[in-house]
Amino acid sequence: MLQEADIGVGISGVEGMQAVMSSDIAIAQFRYLERLLLVHGHWCYSRISSMICYFFYKNITFGVTIFLYEAYTSFSAQPAYNDWFLSLFNVFFSSLPVIAVGVFDQDVSARFCYKFPLLYQEGVQNILFSWKRIIGWMFNGVISALAIFFLCKESLKHQLFDPNGKTAGWEVLGGTMYTCMVWVVNLQLALSISYFTWVQHIVIWGSIALWYIFLMIYGAMSPSFSTDAYMVFLEALAPAPSYWLTTLFVMIFSLIPYFIYKSVKMRFFPVYHQMIQWIRYEGHSNDAEFVEMVRQRSIRPTTVGYTARRAASVRREDRFYDQIHTDLVAF
Amino acid sequence: MPSNNTASSSAAGSSDSSTTRRNSKRPKYSKFTQQELPACKPILTPGWVILTFLVISVIFIPLGVVSLFASQDVVEIVDRYDNDCIPPPSRADKVAYIQGAANKTCTRTIVVPKKMKQPIYVYYELENFYQNHRRYVKSRSDAQLRSVRDENQIEGCKPEDDVNGQPIVPCGLIAWSLFNDTYALSKNNQPLNVSKKGIAWKSDREHKFGKNVFPKNFQMGNITGGGRLIPNVPLSEQEDLIVWMRTAALPTFRKLYGKIETDLQENDTIHVVLENNYNTYSFDGKKKLVLSTTSWLGGKNDFLGIAYLTVGGICFFLALAFTIMYLVKPRRLGDPTYLSWNRVPGGGR
Repeated sequence: MLQEADIGVGISGVEGMQAVMSSDIAIAQFRYLERLLLVHGHWCYSRISSMICYFFYKNITFGVTIFLYEAYTSFSAQPAYNDWFLSLFNVFFSSLPVIAVGVFDQDVSARFCYKFPLLYQEGVQNILFSWKRIIGWMFNGVISALAIFFLCKESLKHQLFDPNGKTAGWEVLGGTMYTCMVWVVNLQLALSISYFTWVQHIVIWGSIALWYIFLMIYGAMSPSFSTDAYMVFLEALAPAPSYWLTTLFVMIFSLIPYFIYKSVKMRFFPVYHQMIQWIRYEGHSNDAEFVEMVRQRSIRPTTVGYTARRAASVRREDRFYDQIHTDLVAF
Repeated sequence: MPSNNTASSSAAGSSDSSTTRRNSKRPKYSKFTQQELPACKPILTPGWVILTFLVISVIFIPLGVVSLFASQDVVEIVDRYDNDCIPPPSRADKVAYIQGAANKTCTRTIVVPKKMKQPIYVYYELENFYQNHRRYVKSRSDAQLRSVRDENQIEGCKPEDDVNGQPIVPCGLIAWSLFNDTYALSKNNQPLNVSKKGIAWKSDREHKFGKNVFPKNFQMGNITGGGRLIPNVPLSEQEDLIVWMRTAALPTFRKLYGKIETDLQENDTIHVVLENNYNTYSFDGKKKLVLSTTSWLGGKNDFLGIAYLTVGGICFFLALAFTIMYLVKPRRLGDPTYLSWNRVPGGGR
């Protein structure tokens, strides 16, 4: 049975280790099952869905900027960035933050997972990994990439970015676009999570700082290795105020759409775990009656059997009256 | 464990509890492994949203104003000369004219619209020239440019790699297509000195182009792609070549030709005697001569200023809109009966 199930949980005890050996997860006492399901089950679902959606987002942002640049090179497959930049994007500059989210993120703390067991239904009902969400993140990636590419291209249109009159070449455009991209992708992650420990701070801000450090170190290596990125940061990019201004502008501009979306969603159309976050924020979580009321109103009705079907058809007619009653309830 | 308990049952309480602790399988507690690290859990409350938009607009609008002023201060003169510099009889077949041996000297007149303070930079602008095409970008040998020892490293440079078995220095299509129009400027019949020193990036001059590398067998093939190089000047001092070899990012690009170190007054008339040598007619390219001053922001580009102002304004408007929205629409806590699994009768997906 343990092997046949989607997830088999074995309990190690006086009856031996057989169950443990053939199970996917082993626990020591039966009461730990509650924590396993309600806390870790919910966290696991929420973390994995945000991680996967974000992965799509950041790689689409990366790929679409390169694709858009191809239109300006008569599609000759000349990438917009230096070879090492291309390889290291998914290794150094955007991977650690998303791993930290996939491992450490907690949208709702363990205490609240116990208090509101219906959070587990978010996973059962596939709320956080629906097609709508996935396509939404991909669309966000495309918008970010469009913003990054066209804004950087326009600001370097005449290649006169340097106060000393020198012109911008391919490496300057590539360096500017890549900097904007690293900032946008990492700040987007910071915007989409709501749980910051020292781990998240170090990996997010560290990845951004690592980009600048990498640029300086790679640029300082001999030109036979660093080819066109030789001294590009210290000599061309850093002394030019327009580079810093462009970076600041692009990073804020690319994040404004998502910021608006999240503000509106959080306030007017919150998902269940966001409702719990509001409850925690407003301090109602210590009010046992309030918590009980929220729990009662969240309960999912049964769906199997004749009684359930009958109740569902009755509910359809009652829903209209329900709505009027809800508006009168003072929370 | 029963045996241990009988042994320690007569011992004092503290050793009893230490026995129990020794036998417990509980893992050592740490905040990290139990995921109870001190955390900051911000949520997007109305206060934060409005504050963020206001801060953005407060920062962006002054930045936009400052950038726009900087760009407006720059004086830029652009003069397209590729069509006008072909004498009317030859305009029917421009390619034949440019490839022929006719005299290509051309005179242009430019009027300075506003006072230009030195240094004034002279650029040439090319359009529809894809210096960023992959095969073109790859067609160079950086090793050869750096040192005489690597003269024979010409692998990537086909078809411009060697002539009669002798390597071309510098090899490759980028060097071969060197831009070779020249401009001689004069103001009120006094020649204007266009300084050609220091127009290339310092790292290029000192580290990428060797001091002991001299041009060899350059432009000796059947087809001449562009300018010639003086054979006894080392590559590190051939600044035109160095500037040209920094491939441009976009098909419309400018490259630095030289610097004028005197002021130009308003309504000055500049005469440009140019040699219209470079063939952009085969691919419908355009050639332009640009004179421009610079500001701390670079050349004339209103884009950053306008963009900052626009976004600052939009954010200010959004801050107001959100304030109104939060005041007008009362917030329901988020009635759990409206959860998606409760909304559909029978609780479907």
